[in-house]
Amino acid sequence: MMYEYVRCREEYGMIISFKDVFKMIGILIVSFCAVFVCTLFLNYYIDITSVEAAITGQMARIMYEAMRNTAKMVSALSGGCLLLTSVVLLCFYIGHYVDTHKKQLGILKALGYSRFAIAKGFAVFGLCVFAGAAAGYLGAHLLMPGFYETQNAEGYFPPFDATFHPSLFIALAVLPAVFFAMLSIFYSYYRLRVSALTLMREAAAVKVVKAKKETNMPFLTELRKSSVRQRKSLVFFITFAVFCFSSMMQMSFSMDELASVMMAVMIMSIGIVLACVTLLIATTSVMKANAKTITMLKVFGYEARECAKAVLGGYRPWAYVGFAVGTVYQFGLLKIAVEVVFAGMEGIPEYGFDVPAFFCTLVVFVLLYEGIMRFYGKKMERFSVKEIMLD
Amino acid sequence: MIKIENVHKSYGTGDSRNEVLKGVSLTVKDGDFVVILGASGSGKSTLLNVISGLEPADEGTICYDDRKVSSMNDTELTKFRKEYIGYIFQQYFLLPNLDVDKNVKMGADLAGNKEYRKTIKAVGLEEKRMKYPHELSGGEQQRVSVARALAKKPKVLYLDEPTGALDEQTGRQVLDYICTLKRELGFTMVMVTHNQNIAQMADTVIRMNSGRIVETYHNTKQKTAYEIAW
Repeated sequence: MMYEYVRCREEYGMIISFKDVFKMIGILIVSFCAVFVCTLFLNYYIDITSVEAAITGQMARIMYEAMRNTAKMVSALSGGCLLLTSVVLLCFYIGHYVDTHKKQLGILKALGYSRFAIAKGFAVFGLCVFAGAAAGYLGAHLLMPGFYETQNAEGYFPPFDATFHPSLFIALAVLPAVFFAMLSIFYSYYRLRVSALTLMREAAAVKVVKAKKETNMPFLTELRKSSVRQRKSLVFFITFAVFCFSSMMQMSFSMDELASVMMAVMIMSIGIVLACVTLLIATTSVMKANAKTITMLKVFGYEARECAKAVLGGYRPWAYVGFAVGTVYQFGLLKIAVEVVFAGMEGIPEYGFDVPAFFCTLVVFVLLYEGIMRFYGKKMERFSVKEIMLD
Repeated sequence: MIKIENVHKSYGTGDSRNEVLKGVSLTVKDGDFVVILGASGSGKSTLLNVISGLEPADEGTICYDDRKVSSMNDTELTKFRKEYIGYIFQQYFLLPNLDVDKNVKMGADLAGNKEYRKTIKAVGLEEKRMKYPHELSGGEQQRVSVARALAKKPKVLYLDEPTGALDEQTGRQVLDYICTLKRELGFTMVMVTHNQNIAQMADTVIRMNSGRIVETYHNTKQKTAYEIAW
């Protein structure tokens, strides 16, 4: 008990260490992407609105409205979508942190630290969001001159420069950081609602989602189904990662024609980064949660290939569902954009389902997904028996 | 027959290097029940891990009949463990998210054993087939671990302190199940323990100290789990 106490004091001087915050690289990247896109478009929205009086021609007016609508739509969609992702990721991470540190947190409570005193330490997660958001804001400003030029390539609007809007920085970097810090405190406060003893007891207990009925399938199939059943939240992350990849990749191909190459590259980059980060976080989580199982399978003589299939294979169908939903989503979104937002505008090509883009994205997805799964399969070969023996 | 010659194993490097096995040699006959005794840190568990192919030896040879385990690569070792070896650990290491039936099936499927439920019955857990590990007592979990190891029909069964986490009554019961099944199935058994009384159940007893075998003897009469002191 004394040893645990000392360890807790060392480890929890700040409750959460900077090392733990650093592990939230996923949220940092998502914050970066969200603020980057929103800053770019909202800054443009504010700046173009300031020269509204100087835009007179009929075509220029239509383009002006279209640009403003695009900026609003892109900011709302990408910002909203990425904000939601960050909230889910943060809650998942805090939940995981509490689950894996129940014993230490229980000891702190037993020693007399109040629930709020422990929970407020989680506010440090807001720093991670701030770092990502500030980097995104800076990145957007670096890219802004080129972006403005591209948006006015046809010369419909009088030339105007990108200006710095402090209110945008507060709204996109400072407020989200405060919001996420508060969210971290409240969510961890909620997770710590049980007694110190329960926390310590739960640390040793295993939460199991039982099968609904008895089945007679081969062991590896049973294990595959059970792995997915135990970690449904990871099904969401993997499906979401592939959804982002599928929708943004296909959208970027169409954007090249509908908007600009710059927009296409931007959307594609965000899609790939977001998908890869989410997929890697989710898969690493699956691996960590199943480390003992994988090791025991290896001890008994199951090959690494079989272990990978059993532990990771259950998520594959969900990944393909994510791909299909992403395809339908991007098609619907662009169809609405072309037929509603740009309605009546000249020079806007008719939009139909882009079959080559679909197949191209599908091939890249299959290669990328299977490559990542193969990488983790190889990692399983290095799991040692000693690790679980010493646990 | 298992033949081990001059096996060395150490952990760490430089000043922190710790030689755990210092030239161990021994022979285990088919169908034998061997108990390896020794205090904590004597190297008995490391010897078990090395002989069973869980860890590579630094030096020396380990042969199972005509198969040289010490020169196998990881893939070959996995295949070897699949065909030859069964394990029972002190901490059971059952898969928590699968019920008793599926845990035993884990071993059975490797050997294509369709009648694995007979093994569950043999360890007295037929009624608890659909229970999950956290719903069982320590003794019951260890019996699942026994059934899992035996359902794969191993030629050699390795046990690392199988009763270490159990009380006397449960410990005796688990040992009795294991020995009864050994008599029925005829596999070779190597058990590591610090409980000297269990040695009275074995055919051969090996005593280890500081990485070396210091004594080997054979019991002329083996006692049962209920005859030994605890």
